[in-house]
Amino acid sequence: MELGIQPDYMKILKLDDEEVKRRFDFFELTEEDFRRLTELKSFANRCTQEITEGLYELIMNHPESRAFFPDEATLSRVKRMQNAYFLHLFSGTYDLNYVRDRLRVGAAHERIGMPPKLYLGAYRRYLALIHERLLDHFKGNEAESIKALETIRKIIFFDMALAFDTYIAAYLETMTRHQAAIRELSTPVIKVYDRILLLPIVGTVDTQRANQIMETVLVQVVEQQARVIIIDIAGVPVVDTKVADHILQTTAAVQLLGAQTVLTGISASVARTVIQLGVELTRVDTRAKLSEGIELALSIIGKKIASKKKRDPEDED
Amino acid sequence: MSSGTIPILKIGPTLLATIQVDLHDTVVDAFQNDVLEEIEKTGSSGLIIDISALETVDSYVARTLANTGKMAKLMGTETVIVGMRPAVAATLVRMGYFMSGIRTALSLQEGLELQAERLQKPESE
Repeated sequence: MELGIQPDYMKILKLDDEEVKRRFDFFELTEEDFRRLTELKSFANRCTQEITEGLYELIMNHPESRAFFPDEATLSRVKRMQNAYFLHLFSGTYDLNYVRDRLRVGAAHERIGMPPKLYLGAYRRYLALIHERLLDHFKGNEAESIKALETIRKIIFFDMALAFDTYIAAYLETMTRHQAAIRELSTPVIKVYDRILLLPIVGTVDTQRANQIMETVLVQVVEQQARVIIIDIAGVPVVDTKVADHILQTTAAVQLLGAQTVLTGISASVARTVIQLGVELTRVDTRAKLSEGIELALSIIGKKIASKKKRDPEDED
Repeated sequence: MSSGTIPILKIGPTLLATIQVDLHDTVVDAFQNDVLEEIEKTGSSGLIIDISALETVDSYVARTLANTGKMAKLMGTETVIVGMRPAVAATLVRMGYFMSGIRTALSLQEGLELQAERLQKPESE
């Protein structure tokens, strides 16, 4: 996708021989249907151009769908692809490769952002066009044309189902990826010094995020055997009772593990609100600035930052 | 030796109890008795309870462990609970149970160090 990597929809949708067979069964696609499709090959060859033209007439008459085909070159390319798609319906082999090809078509529509309403709407015209040609083809033999149309309807619905599954799978994929990215971004735990961790919190803290922060903090403290975790809330716009409560909980949990929390980045306004709200933050070690927090953390593990001793005057300059 | 299922070992001036079985109410009650009797018998000055094997701790168990620590304190023995898992800590805190007044350490090693430090300067606590 963004990186040019196509997700393997065959795998995501668990499309193996058995699943494809189950789908054929459900769409009532039988050997007879496949035979009939193959027999219609010459019919397909004859009228594919007309059908494609008819389909794009609809598409190009509506600004919303026209927007997907900005120039003549694109248009003639997709028309070619449409012809190939149509002929493939009558190719005679209906197996995993057929399914893979259909998924590719579905994925292509999803990738260019073609909304399902246009996709489905165009299919409606497509079926109507095919119907028209079939009546013409079977001239007078209504029973046969109905059978043929029903067969084509089955395979087209089968294709549409695959395309929709691809749409949904692609959306889910994107969503999961974004969620993971956000999760990672929202709790970056930094190792400041041996056994001292820092978690800068930026942005609003809701319950879900607070829970996630607590989880990350606890796991990291144990994993890295940290003695102190500094939580910097300078980037949190509003600290209300809820946020303060979350911080207190996290602090308590860290304590249970056998480590300590230092809370930094408390501005004057935050200090004011917290006290006005009556939140008891006194059980937590707090500092205004991160640098003070780091000093405190170092002193907890028995270290301190000291100025370098002045060198002997002789060594100077 | 103890009568329950949780062995309580004496290492120098410190008692060490490593909990490796699921703590049901009766087990934890028996454990409390054993620990207190062991303290009375040995006069140990420190107690370490290692719960790193516990994946879940319910509120009763947490309260009993904390109370055991407080009882030990009355007998002059300092308790350190070591190795609590992140998930256990999160659950306890969400239940509103903070185990206040109980000392904790990340690992058995740290717990032992904590006890040793305390012995060096006995009047600090």
